Amino acid sequence: MMRAWPVIATMLLALGGLSAVAGYEMAPPRGAQWHEIAWPFPRDGWPAGRAFRCGAAECGTDVEVYARPKLGFCNCDSGVADDDEVDRVADVDMISPRFVALRAGEVVEVADMHGRIRAYDLDGKRTAIGIAVSHRCDLMAVAARGGGDAARVQQATLKFLEGREIRTWMAAAMEGR
Amino acid sequence: MGGRVTAVCCTVVVVLLAHAASAQQPKIGDPPEASNMRLVGSNDLQARSAYQPTIHHQGNRWIAYIGHHGGTDDIPDPVNPMTGKAEPNGTSIVDVTDPAHPRYLRHIPGQEGKYESGGAQMVRICDGKDLPKGDRNAVYMLRAVGTEGHEIWNVADPANPVLVTHIGEGLKDTHKSFWECGTGIAYLVSGAPDWRTRRMTQIYDLSDPAHPVKIRDFGLPGQEPGATGAVPTELHGPISTGPQGNRVYFGYGTDKGGFLQIVDRDKLLNGPREPTPDNLKYPEIARMPLSALNGAHTVFPMPGMPIAEFAHDKDGKTRDIVMIVDEAIQNECGEARQMVWFADVTTEARPMLISSYTVPEASGRFCERGGRFGSHSSNESMAPVYYKKMAFIAFFNAGVRALDIRDPYHPREVGYFIPSITAATDKRCVTIDGRDRCKVAIQTNNVETDDRGYIYAVDRANTGLHILELTGAARAVAGLP
Repeated sequence: MMRAWPVIATMLLALGGLSAVAGYEMAPPRGAQWHEIAWPFPRDGWPAGRAFRCGAAECGTDVEVYARPKLGFCNCDSGVADDDEVDRVADVDMISPRFVALRAGEVVEVADMHGRIRAYDLDGKRTAIGIAVSHRCDLMAVAARGGGDAARVQQATLKFLEGREIRTWMAAAMEGR
Repeated sequence: MGGRVTAVCCTVVVVLLAHAASAQQPKIGDPPEASNMRLVGSNDLQARSAYQPTIHHQGNRWIAYIGHHGGTDDIPDPVNPMTGKAEPNGTSIVDVTDPAHPRYLRHIPGQEGKYESGGAQMVRICDGKDLPKGDRNAVYMLRAVGTEGHEIWNVADPANPVLVTHIGEGLKDTHKSFWECGTGIAYLVSGAPDWRTRRMTQIYDLSDPAHPVKIRDFGLPGQEPGATGAVPTELHGPISTGPQGNRVYFGYGTDKGGFLQIVDRDKLLNGPREPTPDNLKYPEIARMPLSALNGAHTVFPMPGMPIAEFAHDKDGKTRDIVMIVDEAIQNECGEARQMVWFADVTTEARPMLISSYTVPEASGRFCERGGRFGSHSSNESMAPVYYKKMAFIAFFNAGVRALDIRDPYHPREVGYFIPSITAATDKRCVTIDGRDRCKVAIQTNNVETDDRGYIYAVDRANTGLHILELTGAARAVAGLP
């Protein structure tokens, strides 16, 4: 019976290792100025994602970023095809159902996924950024909001999305891609 | 001794787990699973992923017209054995006069592209003699050809179809259109390039199929060109009750945020046509949202259903019912359950869901079988043999389910048929730890019935066409001998 202990100990170690990996993947992205906040929106058709905030003192303007995967929500071949698709899927409507694009969108790459980014005016004072990037048939939707200059909000958002931890989380959230 | 005990225990556990995992995994050679339904005949449809079948009584023949999705990564353009050429999936034409021996007549190639991005998914058929300005000798097939638009073919000789006309080009998408044979009015699910959605409605007068006349574009306020702000859920497909019923039922959404929209047909066709928010709202009678977790693939109207339970009530003996079928899109239960809903729309301004139906997952451990599990579509034939009595639901890896809907407040499953997989059945994968893990399972995608009572199920995973008939108690529900 005593000889069973090494087997049990090995299994416990393996389980511990797996828990550690899972814990690492779920850990909030580290960064000096960004901190994770609770998902601020009511439940809709997609599971909640993750939300982060950066203050004006650190990011130049108050910015909040909301990101979540939308699995099976993208054209598997053409990906995010145009700006209309960004309007439809990037979750900017969660911030406000009334948003007006400031200009045509641009191609963007986030976490090694290709898609488009577009800036919006919300109410004349606040601006929003919508990002939709895809891998195969799955989509990562990112919306951000901030006060004032859209370029500054966009820059802060893209800088945040370059972080290793958020990129790791996005990859894991897209089913371990 | 302890080591041997541990080894034996571990082996038993591993064997049990492996058995549990494989118990429901279909294998080639397994018999079909069935209750009160029987396989009459089948055809492999050249191993093409199939969408909507339409069965048409043509002279003394019965012809099945079957739309296809695009090809697969492994075989983008399957070879047509009749021509020896690789052809992008399009439309299969099959003579099913003898359902035990269906005869493949012709494949009309569709748009290049894989899966949802190619093919020619939707098919509707009208006889020329029924259309106000049609050629009386013609039989017209309307089909949606991906982003290339819509086509009308003369299939009077189904083995030798002739292209009549092409409608639209440069569209974002096309899908589940509807065509009124008595008037020629067609509700073409399209993605007009300047609209903000992939799928809205372009309404055409196709009473003379050779000369299509555009009536208007229609969609939800917020989808129209130049709109700003949130974009409403895209259309899946409409079904019209024609000038007599004066209603068009639109189903929006796929597996999320769906709703049923009830529209006054006369106002839709004859109201102001400019796509302004007010003009788009004008024909709408009511909108009934589903949960954000469900979409609406098929919205099938059944007006004036007598409800036996209400027979002695002074009011409300008959009810106007719409059956709503969601579409599952994720493999291996990767989303909320997509199922069937019944709405009582008798008081149109206040439609209400009254019942639902789903296959019990535990009855076949369908979440473990591979591929999609959940509903996709229903039969759309309004032939008396089944209309308002039975409905047939395509449920992906749970096959076809036969429902007794005579009391739509309490729909009841009375039969099912899950076809066997074959060597042609394509795999379905999920990503686990960055790697694809694939399984092979039946993926019954769409279903239709004919006036004789045969049921036609087609497979999304390339298994082909299965022609079925009811047996036992299910046959009695339909009043069949």
